[in-house]
Amino acid sequence: MRYLLRKLGFYLVALWAALTVNFFVPRLMPGDPVDILLSKLGQRGPVTPEMRASTEALLGTSSGKPLWSQYLEYLGNLAHGDLGVSVTFFPASVGSIIEQTLPWTIGLIGLATVISFLVGVGLGTAAGWKRGSWLDNLIPVTTMFQSVPYFWLALILLFLFGSTWPLFPLNGGYDVYSVEPGWSLDFIGSVIYYGALPALTIILSSVGGWMLGMRNMMVSTLSEDYMVTAEAKGLRPGRIMRRYAARNAILPSVSGFAISLGFVVAGSIVTEAVFSYPGIGSALLQAVGGNDYALMQGIFLVITLSVLGANLLVDLLYSVIDPRTRARA
Amino acid sequence: MFKLKAAVAAAAALTLAVAGCSGDKSDGGTTKGNAGNSSITIFNGSTGTIVENWNPFSPTLLQPTQGLIYETLYWFNFAKESEPTPMLGTAYSWDKTGKVLTITTRDGVTWSDGQPFTAKDVAFTFDLVKRTPAINASGLKLVSSVAKDDKTAVLTFEVPSFTAEAAVIANTPIVAEHVWSKIDDPAKTINPTPVGTGPYKLKTFSAQSYVMEKNPNYWQSGKPQIQNVRYVALATADAATAALTAGQVDWMSAFLPGLEQLLKNQKNLTYVNTPAMTTSVFTCAGAELGCKGPQTDPAVRQAIYYALNRDQLNKLAGGGFAETASPTLLLPERDKKWIADPANATTPGAPDVAKANQILDAAGWVKGGDGIRAKGGEKLSMTIQTVTGWSDYISLNDAMKQELKEVGIEIKPTQLSWNEWNNNQVQGKFQLSLDSIGLGASTNPYFTYLKYTTVTTAKVGESAQNSGNYSRYKNPKVDAAIAAATNTNDEAAQKAQYAIVQQEIVKDLPYIPIYVNSMLTEFSTANAVGWPSNENKYALPASWKSWDNGVVLSNLQPAK
Repeated sequence: MRYLLRKLGFYLVALWAALTVNFFVPRLMPGDPVDILLSKLGQRGPVTPEMRASTEALLGTSSGKPLWSQYLEYLGNLAHGDLGVSVTFFPASVGSIIEQTLPWTIGLIGLATVISFLVGVGLGTAAGWKRGSWLDNLIPVTTMFQSVPYFWLALILLFLFGSTWPLFPLNGGYDVYSVEPGWSLDFIGSVIYYGALPALTIILSSVGGWMLGMRNMMVSTLSEDYMVTAEAKGLRPGRIMRRYAARNAILPSVSGFAISLGFVVAGSIVTEAVFSYPGIGSALLQAVGGNDYALMQGIFLVITLSVLGANLLVDLLYSVIDPRTRARA
Repeated sequence: MFKLKAAVAAAAALTLAVAGCSGDKSDGGTTKGNAGNSSITIFNGSTGTIVENWNPFSPTLLQPTQGLIYETLYWFNFAKESEPTPMLGTAYSWDKTGKVLTITTRDGVTWSDGQPFTAKDVAFTFDLVKRTPAINASGLKLVSSVAKDDKTAVLTFEVPSFTAEAAVIANTPIVAEHVWSKIDDPAKTINPTPVGTGPYKLKTFSAQSYVMEKNPNYWQSGKPQIQNVRYVALATADAATAALTAGQVDWMSAFLPGLEQLLKNQKNLTYVNTPAMTTSVFTCAGAELGCKGPQTDPAVRQAIYYALNRDQLNKLAGGGFAETASPTLLLPERDKKWIADPANATTPGAPDVAKANQILDAAGWVKGGDGIRAKGGEKLSMTIQTVTGWSDYISLNDAMKQELKEVGIEIKPTQLSWNEWNNNQVQGKFQLSLDSIGLGASTNPYFTYLKYTTVTTAKVGESAQNSGNYSRYKNPKVDAAIAAATNTNDEAAQKAQYAIVQQEIVKDLPYIPIYVNSMLTEFSTANAVGWPSNENKYALPASWKSWDNGVVLSNLQPAK
């Protein structure tokens, strides 16, 4: 119990530190949201001098409040779950934009991460179990995909399978021309079809790491004494592989998986930019472009919470699957 | 091979049969071909997630709100010199003092919910603007707004407001009293079920695309003919190019490198070029207001003006699509009647190196050993800023660097993020900056020349007004002339004042014009015809232009 409380306390402090950084970093960027909004309008049509006053009145940003009181106000609003109003998408609230974009990101990047982990660990186990087989030779190929910059790989695949041989759509989250959003088979099918190529790029570029890590852990686990004991007892090879070798070998991969899950939201930016995918990464890009403090902070908050949350979960899970970690609690 | 051909033939036959069917179903008369289900797709530059906002007063509205759903009293065509086109208004007149504007409204117009439109709605709209500072974007100084009868609205202003004419008649969306009188905060509503008088109304919305459908009760009979209009979001210029050539987009506006090549084998695709914004070197000119650097010397600005090889710049950076600018910063063709001295109609195309050298010599800038001039220990060297990723402006900077070096001027190009670049301009923290001088509220030069007045500027370090005098230029003669021009509605009197302005700015050049940058709009004739063309610029065709969109869409016909 004390172990649990100590962990929770640590995470609370980390959360507060992250929130504070979230508050200050966007405000150090050049530009004022009102200026930016007006200049963007000015590119589309006439902006009269008087428009500044009306925009300030609208956004309520003209407050000359000192930074510390804004900071307290920010923390207070957060406590009430109020993330504020977005400037870029005014008058929509930050919460509603996150609500609208987050499912796309979790669906695409989250699923791709899970798939890549499962496939990588599975292949790694097999490769470590049968060293020198053809699977072992696959490893250099997959790590090559990982070493290539992700956006470059994504662009090449997009070019090949989107333009040259148009197997997959070029952009978007679903077929906006013929499908209505909703829980229909058509819509779900369309979402899967449009998400296939981006998901494939993520899996291709990350599966190598999981595979290599798992394979090497398998190899070192296989030389442990208890493996020899297990074999001497005459257990079936499949049981030895899964219960004795893989269960121990997977431990480092699980902590790695937690960290990568936490970065699902943050890591989505490049994918979503390349594939024009309507997730939270695109929203963050737009927020930065418009100096939209509230939206940026809202998205950073989601990122922070997901990283911290995933880590906490794994910390707790770890103490279950590997009792050694809580021995000194 | 044979199988493939047969399949194609079968598909073609099927298409014909389907087309024939729908042709039969339409009840003859004026509608042509597949008018019943005609549909086009527009990309208006929106990227990422689309957030619903149909509030015509909101700065973050969805662009088709203005023009497709809501309409104004009159409409100005920026593509050519023309009189305002009557829309919901049919006549208007000012009193002598410029304080009272009387508007006659159109008969027989209904809102998309079936209620009749009257002058009371017009009076209500302006009263709403008067009561709500947050939506008074043009800063109208209204005293009252009343309807004398169903066809006449009278607006009274605190001060002479001739210059607000464009904002009132052509830029204020007219809303329905029976709808908006029930809305608590007109600045913050997203107006989810918009009721307008325009040619289209909202059909479906999602965060990635929305569809507008034809308003069957539209007051211009027989219009519009296209049933559905879909707007889509695309992330990048590459995505837009791909969508255009794949036939997924019918109308978009973007500078696509290699456009001619791209469209060569596409029989349905055409483009029109409507240059309207003058790409200029913005200089921080006003030493009095805190500008620092050699560009505060008018001789330096003049030398840059003469040293530029604009023909070459157009070829290298403008793709050959740019048109000749005018040192008066008006458009040589469209604004011909406003340019007082024909000698100032256009900028030279070729450089005049001798003249540039002579100006700099006379001003005391002496060439040093490295070929760069200097005066009193100050090198004739300036930084010029533009935005990362604006490829044509980046090549402009590189080419100008070479050209100006020949007369001993050094410029150092820098690339910044849009935010930082914009912030520098607004606050005057730059020496030279590349930007364009854009569209005003109307084609009256007043809106361009505001950029030269001290009314719209501030000291370096403070924000100048948006689209205002970023150059920190200060000239009492210009200030006086603009002030005089605002107090009259008489075109001849205005011309006389603008002539004074032109004389001054041609000499001082706080904004050094390069060329009138191309504004390229790409169309597909696969689904609709009747787009604006170079011969018939009945509207500014850019797909992001508010108000004009409605006019263009009303004029389209389904392709046969």
